[in-house]
Amino acid sequence: MAYVERVPAIAVREERVRTCTVTGLRVYAGAQALTLANAVAAVLAVAVGGAFGVSMALTRAPSLELLGSKGYYVALTGHGVSALILWPVFFEVAAMVFASSVLLNARVWSMKIGWTSLGLMIAGAVMLESIILSGKASVGFTAYPPLVAHPVFYLGYIVFAVGVLLAIGNFAMTIANARVERTYTGSLPLLTYGVAVAAILALLAIVSGLVALIPAWLYSQGWVSNVEPIVYRGWFWGLGHTLQYVNVVAMVVAWYGIAALALKAGPVNQKFTRFAFVLYLILTVPVLGHHFLVDPSIGTDVKIVGGSLMGFALGVPSLMHGLAVMGGCEARLRERGAVGLFGWLRRIDFGHAGIAAMACSLLLFAVGGWTGTAQTTLQLNMITHNTMWVPAHIHAIVVGGTTLAFMGFAYVLVPLLAQRKLWGGRLATVQAYLYGGGLLMLIATQSWAGVLGIPRRVSRVDVGADPHSWRLPMDLMGVAGAIAGLGGALFVVIMVMTLVRGKRTDDPAELAVGAELPA
Amino acid sequence: MAAVESPVVSPAPGWARRLPADEKIFLWVVLASVVVMSAFTIGWLYFGHQNPPTAFYRTSPGAFAAKTQAFATRYTGKDGRVHVPVGKDAYLMAYRFAFYPTLVVKAGHPVRIWMSSLDALHGFSLVGHGLNINLEIAPNHAYGAVITPTKPGKYLIVCNEFCGLGHQLMQTTLYVER
Repeated sequence: MAYVERVPAIAVREERVRTCTVTGLRVYAGAQALTLANAVAAVLAVAVGGAFGVSMALTRAPSLELLGSKGYYVALTGHGVSALILWPVFFEVAAMVFASSVLLNARVWSMKIGWTSLGLMIAGAVMLESIILSGKASVGFTAYPPLVAHPVFYLGYIVFAVGVLLAIGNFAMTIANARVERTYTGSLPLLTYGVAVAAILALLAIVSGLVALIPAWLYSQGWVSNVEPIVYRGWFWGLGHTLQYVNVVAMVVAWYGIAALALKAGPVNQKFTRFAFVLYLILTVPVLGHHFLVDPSIGTDVKIVGGSLMGFALGVPSLMHGLAVMGGCEARLRERGAVGLFGWLRRIDFGHAGIAAMACSLLLFAVGGWTGTAQTTLQLNMITHNTMWVPAHIHAIVVGGTTLAFMGFAYVLVPLLAQRKLWGGRLATVQAYLYGGGLLMLIATQSWAGVLGIPRRVSRVDVGADPHSWRLPMDLMGVAGAIAGLGGALFVVIMVMTLVRGKRTDDPAELAVGAELPA
Repeated sequence: MAAVESPVVSPAPGWARRLPADEKIFLWVVLASVVVMSAFTIGWLYFGHQNPPTAFYRTSPGAFAAKTQAFATRYTGKDGRVHVPVGKDAYLMAYRFAFYPTLVVKAGHPVRIWMSSLDALHGFSLVGHGLNINLEIAPNHAYGAVITPTKPGKYLIVCNEFCGLGHQLMQTTLYVER
């Protein structure tokens, strides 16, 4: 007993703390700084990833062919690493710090571990980017052996992963510490609960990733002579696919976060919503079979259960959250007097930057869910496998869904954490619609190209089959990529300017702009 | 509808109560659609005409290359292409950055094409004349796809799994004759 009573006393640390003028939450200086630092790293990663992405789109446009093959494969690898791994994971670690400390009125358990984790992640990211740019790691972010990159590439991945592991440990200890210090009571708030689900999935992803990447690193050093490609591919997608569901869960958390800050809306039923989060936890790992639907190594029974049926089932929690987020907004506005079937929709200010990003995110994620359900169907996968349909799906869910949700969350949250007014006023709204519109066009043209059978991840194809029908969708995709790239660049500018030049203020009216229109 | 609870604070005790009727109905509708989709994809295995190939076996790059070479040597015509006799299995090997050999098959007759890789993961993408079929080619595993060509002409086989610098050069032609 004596030990338990002494815990808070040991843990006490001198740290500045303030009360948020908007939410009333206690914000410790360390938690605030660590969250913002991770978010800044995320913004830098998305800037790099976006630049790679735009150069790829302009290369695949047959009328332009911006880069040669070598440059294209550098961009291919850099885009995957920066935009699919570094950007979302940096942002998710920021969310982990935030959800475990600020939302629980608590301190970060160990600032030392927090900064060490960020340092390792940044070191890993710099190793990855520099070796990719040097042209010695043009193996795609999947790096299937026997394709072999410079050892620094694998080490970069591993160092980054160790940083994330530390962050997950710190996240768990921060919650445990908040519990011990009784800074919150009862169940975890929904956002923290969601982030915890994301953290558990991230842990599974990292373990699987290390099983794939450590042998690949030894192979690149020449210390082992052989890595079986099919086995590596299985473990790699244990990382790649599970990490994707970390992104999905974090996206859902961002939706609830935006709805809460912009409309003071929350889920109508906590049980329904938390059950949906748990479903992600149960279904995510077995579903990675959908990467092997046309593989020569597993039987149809495994493919149909682990790929198709689990894939369909995994749509369920996403549909539940889609209903709960929008239903929560509806219920809130009905409380505030909205009437009629769509009266509540007319009470939402779609010129609000957070709401604009969330609306685009919901729409594009729905499109991505549909294209994903199509390609997880055993037979349809023969049409879509490794064609442009796959990037169309990925861009719909990760860029349209997750990235736009993160952008919207940043618009409503960063001002509160930085105590600065969002820079540029309505520019952020323009950004959300420009980015969302460019992405919708990108997804449409890539899907079109996919149905025609145009392969993905290739610098150019000397088209002998249908040269004319292959040109138009790819040229339009180049245009779409440029538009989306412009939108993405605008986000980076708004974030940097907010943090550097945004007006310092504590006034709730300036920090948090509501999205509820008067009746 | 119940009152809205904030997602940023701990929920009031008793949140794990029963689901309201509207959310229950939604869940049943979603589950029903999952069952319908599952029934379609399983049913198509028995009633559909196009399903992913089910024939595969373990092999090694050396063994598969020897088999392909023997097959190619036997059926190579004067044009340098390999004319697959009706009823015989064809072999196609993928390696960085080419396919071997160039196959000629007869329209209207089913042919099984065994494919495997000598090095990295490769892709088998058959396109042209509105066709679009994609399969994975892996080393140490042979995959046997049965294809019945209907329309004579030239089709393109493209590698669609990134296999290294030079990936964009990796393609061949499949000829379908009357």
